[in-house]
Amino acid sequence: MSKLYTFLKYFFITFWTVFVVAPFLWAVSTSFKDFQSVNSKVTYIPWLDFEPTLEGWRVLIKSPAKGGVDIVEPYFNSIFVTCTASLISIVLGTLAAYALSRFTFKAGFVRNNDITFFFISQRIMPPIVLSIPFFIFLSTIGLLDSLLGLVVVYIVLLMPIAVWIMVDFFNRVPKELDETALIDGCNPYQAFYKVVLPNSIPGLIVAGMFCIIFGWIDFFFAFILTFTEVQLLPVKVVALNSSITPWWSLSASALVSVAPLIIVAFIVERYLSKGNLSGALK
Amino acid sequence: MEEQMAKIDLSNISHTYNPLDPKPTYALNPFSMTWENGKRYAILGPSGCGKTTMLNIVSGLVRPSKGEILFDETPVTDLKTEDRNIAQVFQFPVIYNTMTVYDNLAFPLRCREFTKEKIEERVKAVSDTLNLSSFLNSPARKLTADQKQLISLGRGLVREDVAAVLMDEPLTVIDPDLKFRLRRNLKEINEQYKTTLVYVTHDQNEAMTFAENIIVMDQGEIVQVGLPKDLFEKPKTTFVGYFIGSPAMNIFHSTVSSDHEVKINDTTIKTNSNLGNLKDKNVKLGIRSEFIELAEKEKSNTIKIKLTRVEDFGNFKLLTGKMGDLVIKSKVEREKPIPDGELNLYFPPEKCCVYSDEKLV
Repeated sequence: MSKLYTFLKYFFITFWTVFVVAPFLWAVSTSFKDFQSVNSKVTYIPWLDFEPTLEGWRVLIKSPAKGGVDIVEPYFNSIFVTCTASLISIVLGTLAAYALSRFTFKAGFVRNNDITFFFISQRIMPPIVLSIPFFIFLSTIGLLDSLLGLVVVYIVLLMPIAVWIMVDFFNRVPKELDETALIDGCNPYQAFYKVVLPNSIPGLIVAGMFCIIFGWIDFFFAFILTFTEVQLLPVKVVALNSSITPWWSLSASALVSVAPLIIVAFIVERYLSKGNLSGALK
Repeated sequence: MEEQMAKIDLSNISHTYNPLDPKPTYALNPFSMTWENGKRYAILGPSGCGKTTMLNIVSGLVRPSKGEILFDETPVTDLKTEDRNIAQVFQFPVIYNTMTVYDNLAFPLRCREFTKEKIEERVKAVSDTLNLSSFLNSPARKLTADQKQLISLGRGLVREDVAAVLMDEPLTVIDPDLKFRLRRNLKEINEQYKTTLVYVTHDQNEAMTFAENIIVMDQGEIVQVGLPKDLFEKPKTTFVGYFIGSPAMNIFHSTVSSDHEVKINDTTIKTNSNLGNLKDKNVKLGIRSEFIELAEKEKSNTIKIKLTRVEDFGNFKLLTGKMGDLVIKSKVEREKPIPDGELNLYFPPEKCCVYSDEKLV
């Protein structure tokens, strides 16, 4: 029985690992191929099956004038928009969440939970519902096709995540902790940033991780709200596809696109395995 | 530093948590009380009787709906918690997880901008008292629950200038051995530094052994304030009689038959209370099981009971007997021979308390 269990366990782990890793290996190998190696016959092993080339990677940084696709600028645009929006969302979201967790709000029939739900409801709606209002809003204030406009929209999308995670987190930080800090001589602001916030770092990391992931992978709004001036990475990568699919540069750009998320995942994983995040995730 | 400690006056304080309700329910009914500087007080009462509310009002975490708080005659009702100079220890350990033990203990002093040398000196003194010296550099979150509670306690004691240290059942999570030692430590600290200590508990033994003055509360009311001895011998209400002492006070329905006598099921019991105004009224007679004596034969002030149970508690025996429907408990010395079947119990008149409308006559 236990042998069967062990066998099944390892079988599924192996199966899942192959399932997850295989596309990456495929992308890595494809990114070093040229037109011939991709289209003529099935090839797997570099130097034996095909002659590796860096062309797929080179076009990514070459300017379009020289026949490249230049994803460097969209890359930094994406980094800027994601990081700025995540940072602002985390700061505002954390403050909002602290207030929602510690104070009782009452306005007509509206209570704390309703306000929290209002935040989350922004994420429940299909994005397409928001696209037209956002479009009109940004064009009215003249921020269509600009980095700042995207940052504003992304804050709207990311802040609910931060609020949601942090409300739940603060609710589990006993209010006696704040009270003790007050008794020990902090004013309410000091109590928040000297005592409550350091205790909430695991929650902040998780909230930050989700903000970065959701900000980084968004294609829909980046596609609808930008045209020529500003381009974000997901839009640029999709735009690589033309009448002849450039599998090699597409693979290379896919790899550089997921690289930041892999780094984030590794950092968060370290925290997770240290047990510092226990309880920060549901 | 000692002159900063204060006499604390609670003047006509009352509190409700739903003040906007047309019929608010009061967590604390109006009361006035004075906590003298340097004394040890215990607030005793069942859960939900308003003990914690009272502490929170003093520390400023809760603003009373009515009334005023004065520290040394200075009103502090509108002063914020951080400006009040009160230390409070909660029932469950509250520690700053991200700091070391040393930083935890130093935190209240750092917030008040003490010098580095002073902080070091105080932290050392307190950690010595609480046996925390060897953990000073460990992260506070790695300690056990009772060590964590010691840190909370230490943060309260580290400040010499506090008006009072308020403790809300602080020893609940601490094991009995250490509990005993800590209570003694707290007493020593109180005697040495003359810090006013207020100790909330629902454990009467803890209250009795710790405090000079005990405040008994029930349902938002202060029922009795007094020395442990008074609470034990002369409970002001039947509630105090039930609540203090183990077993609870024997309380019997009875009728006043003369100026000093009551009747329980036709047996007349003489008391030292003056019952002139209560003739023929229904009252209650209370007597501690410790004060009931075994009598060799029937005489005045004895009650004949049928013995139903004898429990041996090691240092004493607890007799349970019945007279009709009445159940009577009596504590007797372990060595005393207990006759089988029926026996006579003597009620010393000076130990009998008579209650009319649940209040001591």
